[in-house]
Amino acid sequence: MTKILLRDRLDDCISRWHAAGLDVIGPVSKNNISQFDTIQKAGELDFGIILPDRTLKDLFFPQTEPMFRYRIGKQQIDTEEYLPPGRQRIVFGARPCDVSAMAIDDPLFGWDYKDTYWFKRRTETVIVTIACTSADEFCMCTSLKLAPDSPQGSDILLRPLEGNRGWLVEELTERGRDAFSLIEGLLENATGDPLPLAVVPVKFDLDACREWLQNPENFESHFWKEISMRCIGCGTCTFLCPTCHCFDFQDEGDTYTGIRRKNWDSCSFALFTMHTSGHNPRSTQSARWRQRIMHKFNYFPGKFSLNSCSGCGRCTRECPVDMGITETLQEITKLSK
Amino acid sequence: MSIQEQYRKRAAELLASGEVKIIIGYGAGSTPDRRRALFIRSADDASLLHVDAACDANLSGYLVSEGLLSDRKKVGIFLRPEGIRSVNILAAESQLDPLQIVIIGFNVENGSLAALQGSGVNDFSSLISTLKESRSTPEEQALIEKIEGMTPEERFAFWQAEFSKCIKCYACRQVCPMCYCKRCIVDNNQPQWVHTSSHTLGNFEWNLVRAFHLSGRCVECGGCDRACPVNIPLRLINRRMAQEVLDAFDHFSGMSHTQEPVLASFKKDDPETFIL
Repeated sequence: MTKILLRDRLDDCISRWHAAGLDVIGPVSKNNISQFDTIQKAGELDFGIILPDRTLKDLFFPQTEPMFRYRIGKQQIDTEEYLPPGRQRIVFGARPCDVSAMAIDDPLFGWDYKDTYWFKRRTETVIVTIACTSADEFCMCTSLKLAPDSPQGSDILLRPLEGNRGWLVEELTERGRDAFSLIEGLLENATGDPLPLAVVPVKFDLDACREWLQNPENFESHFWKEISMRCIGCGTCTFLCPTCHCFDFQDEGDTYTGIRRKNWDSCSFALFTMHTSGHNPRSTQSARWRQRIMHKFNYFPGKFSLNSCSGCGRCTRECPVDMGITETLQEITKLSK
Repeated sequence: MSIQEQYRKRAAELLASGEVKIIIGYGAGSTPDRRRALFIRSADDASLLHVDAACDANLSGYLVSEGLLSDRKKVGIFLRPEGIRSVNILAAESQLDPLQIVIIGFNVENGSLAALQGSGVNDFSSLISTLKESRSTPEEQALIEKIEGMTPEERFAFWQAEFSKCIKCYACRQVCPMCYCKRCIVDNNQPQWVHTSSHTLGNFEWNLVRAFHLSGRCVECGGCDRACPVNIPLRLINRRMAQEVLDAFDHFSGMSHTQEPVLASFKKDDPETFIL
């Protein structure tokens, strides 16, 4: 016997979670954009979208975040640390690609230095993932050896049932079980047929790409110039990437008093590697695009045995000039044959 | 012969004869309804070019890519009327020599493709003059009037909600042919003129700086609006600023390659309504 969560019970579930002090967050479409937002009622959730425009990383690694306030006096320097607000949260309705991306970034944020901000939010958040029953032409999780029902990073995995009536519940972690014990009695003990998973064709050969990228001869290949000629060097693909994690520190204020902030940064920007001297080791857009691909599919797997991509496809979906990882890896697959 | 076939033939001839070293046009995109910038150097590749109503990008920004025009050789480029206006402005601002640009012009009116006659910027002068008189679409006009009709507080709230979505990806800047500065003011940090953080204040600063910098220069190609990954209606800002400049100075940007930049030039009879 499995557990089923019926859609018309969702409002009651939300009330229970609220009563237990949890913030409930889910995909919301508002003001011409879809993103994860705090909700009060199930009706605010948009289950119609395949994937929100913005990613799940917003909840763990916001685009700008104050770290501490400083005041430099004659005798001493005073600082006041800011930490995430410390609310227990449940995310309802994330997608496997977005959630896998959090699991991909965990080792990165915990490698030489344990990022307090990331892990505080990670441990305060329960993620309830809904397996995908539809995909669009940009989805490519299967090319990354993931699937429309990948469990990585999820605390609960839900499989949609026929007729939109609810979801089959799979409890994956202790944290997930704890959160779902709060809605005990609202779940049905029943079985049901889950809807078939989305069919996502494999678009490139990941292993062949890795091998090609590891070959030092290809580092200076003319391919990089050709593939990135139309790249305009904006940050869309990095900022809307669930795994891209680069940031910059900025002091806002004056010499004596201000706030140090942690802001998203992007390897697509010329300024990213600009030295004080004016020298830029990645002086062309092709070198910057090469870095992005190398980082995701060569350096990151070399260090963490994981690709820094979960196949959400937003880079291609949202690119103003119709570039993206899919095309580049498809071309590399061809070159490697 | 369809317009697309004619234009492929023309591109092939320009490359085969050596008149141009490269054609900047449109190719097939990653989905059937997408078009993307395509750079071709061989007449054999002209068959890859597409011209249709889906070709909405203003490609003129690629003309000022570093080093492209420095060998004095000619470049062919597919442009809509707004793109031709952009070339005029880039020439007026000494960013390129219009004699180096061979224009393959086209227009899309009510969803259908129309060929434009001519190849140099001056060949399109009368067309651009007629554009000056044309008004925005009824839907756009309705939205502009709605915003104009708001109280200052309502209008502030409207833009606050829109700018709060901004992630400072700078797609609006990068896609814009007018944003060719080697170092944008927001990338200066000695001193830091504009907050780089994408909090609401920083987002307001960025979008206002951009609006003023583009006043009298923007051709309303809509590139920034289409590029914006968080769907901020940037065209409304540019439309309003263009109207402001038109009303105050009778200036329609990109009329010719000798047109003086309106906010960087002075005429004795300039209106001085701002002096009380």
